[in-house]
Amino acid sequence: MFLQLLFNSLIAAAIYALVAAGLSLIYSTCRFIHFAHGSVVAAGGYFLYFFYSLLGVNFWISVVLAILSGAGLGWLINEFIYRPLRQRKASNTILLVASISVLIIIESLLLISFGADVKVIDFLVNSRGIVIAGAVIMPLQVAIIVVAILLFLLLRLFLKFSKMGQAMRAVSDNKDVAEIVGISSEKVYSQTFVLGSAIASLAGILIAMEQNLEPSMGTILIIKGFTSAIVGGMGTILGSAIGALTLGVAENFGIWYLPSGYKDAIAFVILFLFLLVRPSGILGIKSSFKN
Amino acid sequence: MIPYLIHLFILIGVYYILALSLQVSMGFTGLLNLAQIAFFAIGAYTSALLTLAGVPFLLSFVLAGVLALISGFLLSLPLNKLKGDYLAVVTIGFTFIVYAITLNWIELTRGPLGIPGIPKPDIFGYVFNSNESYLVLVTIIAIVIWIFVRAVVRSPFGRTLEAVRDDELATKMLGKDTKKIKAISMMMAAFLAGLAGSLYAHYITFIDPSSFALMQIVPIISIVIIGGLASLPGTLLATIILILLPEPMRFIGFPSSIVGPMRQILYAVILLAVLLYRPKGFWGKVELE
Repeated sequence: MFLQLLFNSLIAAAIYALVAAGLSLIYSTCRFIHFAHGSVVAAGGYFLYFFYSLLGVNFWISVVLAILSGAGLGWLINEFIYRPLRQRKASNTILLVASISVLIIIESLLLISFGADVKVIDFLVNSRGIVIAGAVIMPLQVAIIVVAILLFLLLRLFLKFSKMGQAMRAVSDNKDVAEIVGISSEKVYSQTFVLGSAIASLAGILIAMEQNLEPSMGTILIIKGFTSAIVGGMGTILGSAIGALTLGVAENFGIWYLPSGYKDAIAFVILFLFLLVRPSGILGIKSSFKN
Repeated sequence: MIPYLIHLFILIGVYYILALSLQVSMGFTGLLNLAQIAFFAIGAYTSALLTLAGVPFLLSFVLAGVLALISGFLLSLPLNKLKGDYLAVVTIGFTFIVYAITLNWIELTRGPLGIPGIPKPDIFGYVFNSNESYLVLVTIIAIVIWIFVRAVVRSPFGRTLEAVRDDELATKMLGKDTKKIKAISMMMAAFLAGLAGSLYAHYITFIDPSSFALMQIVPIISIVIIGGLASLPGTLLATIILILLPEPMRFIGFPSSIVGPMRQILYAVILLAVLLYRPKGFWGKVELE
């Protein structure tokens, strides 16, 4: 039983970590909470559904197309909503309110386009679970955990060694000095949105395959992703992972004792507590993006 | 046609009170308090459960506000530690927690099944059975609340609220206990939202968690921002416009499954447009900070 709960925690943690990583990346450079990130996750899943289940495109090509579309969506949101607001010297509170509006617009559009009923992606459906010491884990779920770990490693390497990654770290550390050195912060913002939204789409794709699709999944996911990011320490890659792990464990072990309907409530309570008591998270890092 | 209009005006009344409550905390005190929906829910459920248990309407109505006020007090406790967007997120979190409770505490709230058969208000023997009489009730209460809020806002306390919004540090330096002031503002806002919740519950006679999801805050924020922060006439005008605006969509012939999300899109788009092009709204004194 314990092992099964542990597996479930890891799978949930992998997904939350992916959502949190993109959100954290965007927060650390752009300095506001991009709530609409959740809807980009949902959109990523729906893009996969659109290309693969509706259009019948080859699965792997659909995955690539879905990620590209999600990244494009993120770029569009930044370009046409956040950037004009920034030009009007909007505070990050305004950007937060705007991002909630964007979240609602995208979710409503998904609802109108695809309907409120739950959608399933029929790829890898008939697979046998791997049994380890009485606990079952599906190959897809193993794949999710592996993908998440790989992605985190790649992200870390990217941020540390690539020029674009270093520019992102520079802007998140100190925007003004970065600009003095010649880094265009607007360009970095754009790139961050593209990268963050691509990761979000990937998360959406994995969720779509492992669970299912419904238009309001973005709202719940962004809360859980945001909780993971806050708990671990907003603005760090490692923080997203730690926070996600904490949340995954708390949720799955929590519903061992509580009625399962309270699963989502656990996330909200943890979020609430951390924001009150330790907003800087477990790793205790407040603003700049560190490895 | 007339019954339809009466229905719309009752909604305008309820939302006006809700918008006023947000105006008090956000427009006048500068607290980005997105928890109004939670207080609305607490008021609605309290009033519904109390009247169903036999408590007279007037008492339930007041208690709905009081219970919301107490929650507002609880939420105001961490206020000093948080500012700006972190405050917003905590209030969002609070809304979610209340939503989760209404969904899961089945013994109390019947969860997703909701609470049906909420009795119409019975004040000293007169039962507000018809929609027309309910409109009169809502209008009277709305006017009373408007007079109250207007009085508060024009009083020295109201000026202190605006001072806290404009420059909290300076206000503190002048010797004002800003923590207490913000808490009072929050409690007042929660109280009014609770009253609005009660009126809503007794009008629709059925409440369930879905009416109190986080998204429902968007129309309220839109009203306050479009009407203009710290502007009472703006709030009224914006409420009327925003409630009436999506209604023509019913007649254009969209299927009902689309009307709902289209309404949400409309509100969100208007909010974005206002934030982008006219952040002061119609008659706002200040921009959202």
